[in-house]
Amino acid sequence: MSAYIIRRLLGLIPVLFGISLLVFIIPRAVRGDPATIILGERAEPATLERLREQLGLNRPLFFNQEGFQEKGIAGLFDSQYFQFLSKALRGDLGRSIFRLTQVRDELAQRFPATFELSIVAMFFAFIIGVPAGVIAALNRGKLLDTGIMFAALAGVSFPVFWLAIILIYAFSVNLGWLPPSGRIDISFEINPITRLYVLDGLLRGDVRFTLNAIKHLVLPSIALGTIPLAIIVRMTRSSMLEVLGQDYVRTARAKGLKQRLVINKHALRNALLPVITVIGLSFGGLLSGAILTETVFAWPGIGKWVYDAIAARDYPIIQGGVLFVAFIFVIVNLLVDLSYALIDPRIQYS
Amino acid sequence: MKKLALLLLSLLAFWSVANAQTLVFGQSRLPISLDTATDGNSLTVGYQIVENLVGFKESSAEIEPLLAESWEASEDAKSWTFHLRQGVSFTDGTPFNAEAVKFNIDRWNNQDNPYAFAAEGKDFTAWPSIFTNFYGEEGYIVESVDVVDEYTAQINLTRPLGYLPQLLAAAYFGMHSPKAVMESGFEYGGPTKGVVGTGPFVFVEWIDGDRLTLDRNEDYWGENAKVEKLVFRGIEEAATRLAELEAGSIDIAVNLSPDDYEAVSNNADLKVVFPDADLRVGYVGMHQANKPFDDVRVRQALAYAIDKDAIVEAFYGELGAVANEFIPPSLIGRLENDPYPYDPEKAKELLAEAGYADGFDTQFWYMPVSRPYYPNPKDVAEAIASMLSEVGINAELMTEDWGIYLDDYALGKFPIYMLGWSADFADSDNFISPFFSRTQGPDGFGWNNAEAFDLIEAAQSAGTVEERTAIYQQIEQILYDELPAMPLVNPRSLSATRANIEGFLPNPLGSTVPFRTITKN
Repeated sequence: MSAYIIRRLLGLIPVLFGISLLVFIIPRAVRGDPATIILGERAEPATLERLREQLGLNRPLFFNQEGFQEKGIAGLFDSQYFQFLSKALRGDLGRSIFRLTQVRDELAQRFPATFELSIVAMFFAFIIGVPAGVIAALNRGKLLDTGIMFAALAGVSFPVFWLAIILIYAFSVNLGWLPPSGRIDISFEINPITRLYVLDGLLRGDVRFTLNAIKHLVLPSIALGTIPLAIIVRMTRSSMLEVLGQDYVRTARAKGLKQRLVINKHALRNALLPVITVIGLSFGGLLSGAILTETVFAWPGIGKWVYDAIAARDYPIIQGGVLFVAFIFVIVNLLVDLSYALIDPRIQYS
Repeated sequence: MKKLALLLLSLLAFWSVANAQTLVFGQSRLPISLDTATDGNSLTVGYQIVENLVGFKESSAEIEPLLAESWEASEDAKSWTFHLRQGVSFTDGTPFNAEAVKFNIDRWNNQDNPYAFAAEGKDFTAWPSIFTNFYGEEGYIVESVDVVDEYTAQINLTRPLGYLPQLLAAAYFGMHSPKAVMESGFEYGGPTKGVVGTGPFVFVEWIDGDRLTLDRNEDYWGENAKVEKLVFRGIEEAATRLAELEAGSIDIAVNLSPDDYEAVSNNADLKVVFPDADLRVGYVGMHQANKPFDDVRVRQALAYAIDKDAIVEAFYGELGAVANEFIPPSLIGRLENDPYPYDPEKAKELLAEAGYADGFDTQFWYMPVSRPYYPNPKDVAEAIASMLSEVGINAELMTEDWGIYLDDYALGKFPIYMLGWSADFADSDNFISPFFSRTQGPDGFGWNNAEAFDLIEAAQSAGTVEERTAIYQQIEQILYDELPAMPLVNPRSLSATRANIEGFLPNPLGSTVPFRTITKN
């Protein structure tokens, strides 16, 4: 098992190296650069050129020929890409072109927001989605089944943007139960520990803070959770139907076991395996940020942050952000693979 | 009895502390930087902390003294003397004096100044866009700043400039504490360091993506601010900003969608706020590198073909006025008439004269993003294209990524396109020379008119308002006749407050709104 994990971790190196190349090349291959965006409607050619020079955009991308002639091999690698790579290996992702802040610091601010929201959204999708899928499977072809599957289809088809706005108007503006946006009321001091606000509140034993953070999580996680929810329902249903037709389920029933026991102990446990795969993959997706949900709920997460950086061509943020998200994504995939072994003893890694 | 009174008093004191007045301001984002950024979200916050030498009258584009009490120009308008307000300190205790003025202007003007932090990637982009260039580079204007005495600073220029005070009133040019800049280094103005000024509010805390908090400056040299605490929130989605306002969790929401005008004005808990007119213009440019727009008759035909009233009525309603000239209302040098009223027949005649009786095919480019002057660019583009097709101009609608768009329009790639301008400073020059001067910025029109070039330079150095007005009117007449671009709309942005908020007075320039006067009842 540990040999397997080590092999998988080693396999990450070429993957991340490849991604570092892609996140470096793609933003630069697209026309338009940070200097153009900074200067906007008032970009004079001379000012543009000066700014490009100042931002280091005119420096060699990969190999520095002049540097090679002056300083040999070390000079050859004095280029934008290799500087980014060597700094990134030391955990330095550079500074935002626009804000001059450390990308690493901004990432440390934003990723916990995304992580917290993703966990709660996935939890919401799971506790609704799995029972709904099971019920649909057990009532196959009946009205209940059709109803649940229709709702799931509607859920996945309904634009998140509109759902979010409707939720805000219903529960915040009209009923006044929940806050419309943000992570915490402005009356609270933050003093972060983990930057997961619910956890921070619990760690400090601050009940009001914790409750307020939870209140802020409800609407965005419902809006975001509808996306994996629909997939989980469909996956659970089809997986359950398959398992319910298996011999061991028939045997269990023949033994005279109660329906509930058959479902919970024999069928569901086996049916969950593909569902876990789906959850793992969509969780990886959620962790890369949800641009629409974050925008509507003013949620300071990673998706909107990278999206804005792409629009503004803030190269260090694009590079650092995407590289980090890719890293998280492959780690989550690895964890999903490993979790199979826990759920299904037949699966062993060596 | 005495004890009871004391108890009541202390209760009252406790109550007022518990109700420390906090004003929450919702804008689309938190700042980029409080030191160098040129976007409204950054400037609005900075304007509460740092103050300029020259300020604006309440909700007006007219200037008045602020940190400078008075000023005068030399005979040739090449050197300006500013008499500073005495007894003012930055909130870190550094005295505000002529040395501080010199420190600030030197670091903006000179890229080699160690406190410009150019090597670290800091860029005062506002400086060259207003003062032509940095010190020592082609066309630079500010030669030096002399400290005449403790409270007198003299700014020396390379050429006459009749409106230097207007320029220094631009939101970019607030006076920062030299000590704070030196101590903080290039991170000055960012979330960890904030900024230090002389203004009515003091920087407290800036949590990325969440909020930025300012406290009242209790030692302000003028009348103290009415609210004790100011919190800025970045809420990008206009619909959410409105929901927050309706829910009462923020007190002021700016830049709401024009579509929400009805909803806001019908809500008794809210108040609609907007300035008389923003100093902004949205226009339709025609680049003469593209045939047939090199023919003035074709350009004029386009102007006759577009029903500006209908477009402004449909897409702006209360929130915009038809623009017939580049210089917006409230500035000098306007002609105040409409040379190209909607007249499709006249348009067809002109096209026929130019040899396009059957019309022609072309491209019409609109921006992919919402800008203050065109909140709904695509809708406006569709309306214009359909009007053009009525007179035989078949314009294919096109758009592309904003970063590329800004490159391409200046390369002459777009035959017809939408773009606009928001004022840097409140002077007619800012609506003329960025487009039509010899040293103009991006060449959006293929414009080369020696007469206009000379007039613009004359207007810049002319002494009196009367002289300048007359020259700008001449320039505007040339623009009417030659029509390098068709001005379309002067928009005004929609903001709203809770009904208990008084004294929020948006300024035509957008970011220069003092929050000192706002009260929350």
